[in-house]
Amino acid sequence: MKRVWLNLQFYPAFFLFSLVAIPALALSVAALAPFIGHRRAMRRFRRAISWYGWVVINVLPFPLVRVRYEDAGGELPPGGALVVCNHRSTSDPFLMACLPREYVQIVNDWPFRLPVLGFFARCAGYLSVKEMPVDEFYARAGRLLADGVGLIAFPEGTRSASRNVGPFHSSVFRLALQRQVPIVPVCIIGNERIPLRGTGWLDPGVIRVRKLPAILPDEYRAWSPFQLKARVRDRIVAELAAVEGAA
Amino acid sequence: MTNQVFVDSFEKEPSELLPEKHVFNDLGLDSLDTVDLVVALQKKFGVKIRDDERVRSIRSLEDIYRFIDAIQKETEAKP
Repeated sequence: MKRVWLNLQFYPAFFLFSLVAIPALALSVAALAPFIGHRRAMRRFRRAISWYGWVVINVLPFPLVRVRYEDAGGELPPGGALVVCNHRSTSDPFLMACLPREYVQIVNDWPFRLPVLGFFARCAGYLSVKEMPVDEFYARAGRLLADGVGLIAFPEGTRSASRNVGPFHSSVFRLALQRQVPIVPVCIIGNERIPLRGTGWLDPGVIRVRKLPAILPDEYRAWSPFQLKARVRDRIVAELAAVEGAA
Repeated sequence: MTNQVFVDSFEKEPSELLPEKHVFNDLGLDSLDTVDLVVALQKKFGVKIRDDERVRSIRSLEDIYRFIDAIQKETEAKP
């Protein structure tokens, strides 16, 4: 019964909210853009997207879905950082709104194919590892990091829809080695059925977004890309086992 | 010797390195890691394989064993 109610509550609210919020946010940023310069306009645009995502995941399904952000990692050094998350569900990109600071997400091609949301993802400068030539990806990602913009990656490349963590692709770890930025592992817990893969049905539950201590360049400088991705993956897997095993 | 490349360059446990293991699905390498693998194999065996078409059809450890074996025989057979 709770499940039915949650979906009846969420989806109409989601469509209505999106219908109003997306044009309003887009127009408000577009109106300011000529006066504030490209960099500040992009920052405002990303903040608007983040705010939209925060409302979608924290407000619309509340109280049957609750999101808890846990900072087990402490303050990050200033500048760009690479956030690396496990990937369980289509709600993962929305959960990134919990993270402080300005971020651009690294995505496959499917988000860009979403109506309306895909357009705004492109406008916010989201990076598609599938569509972009490799050199262009590294160049644009590098510029964002140098500008102090963080990047968020889901290196499994696809949703696991379970508690398992799939193999990681190495491209973002090569980027980290090139650019020598902090790597921030983030564990997403509890949303493998929010929504259920293949159906769109949301199950009630508590989602935890748990930020771990950053892995700094001094620690990983001498590692190979494979070693780096394996060790970051190991930290995420170990944390998930500790948290979910204790639950 | 191929297994030693995986132990040294990819921190794999020898017990994981069975001939039927899939390089991507089981051992966790992706297409970019394959470039590093090719470099490591070239260094280990003293052969040039980067531009060899047969690299693209490698899927398992067994495939790598056979490929390296073939390359070494071809190299020895050259005058």
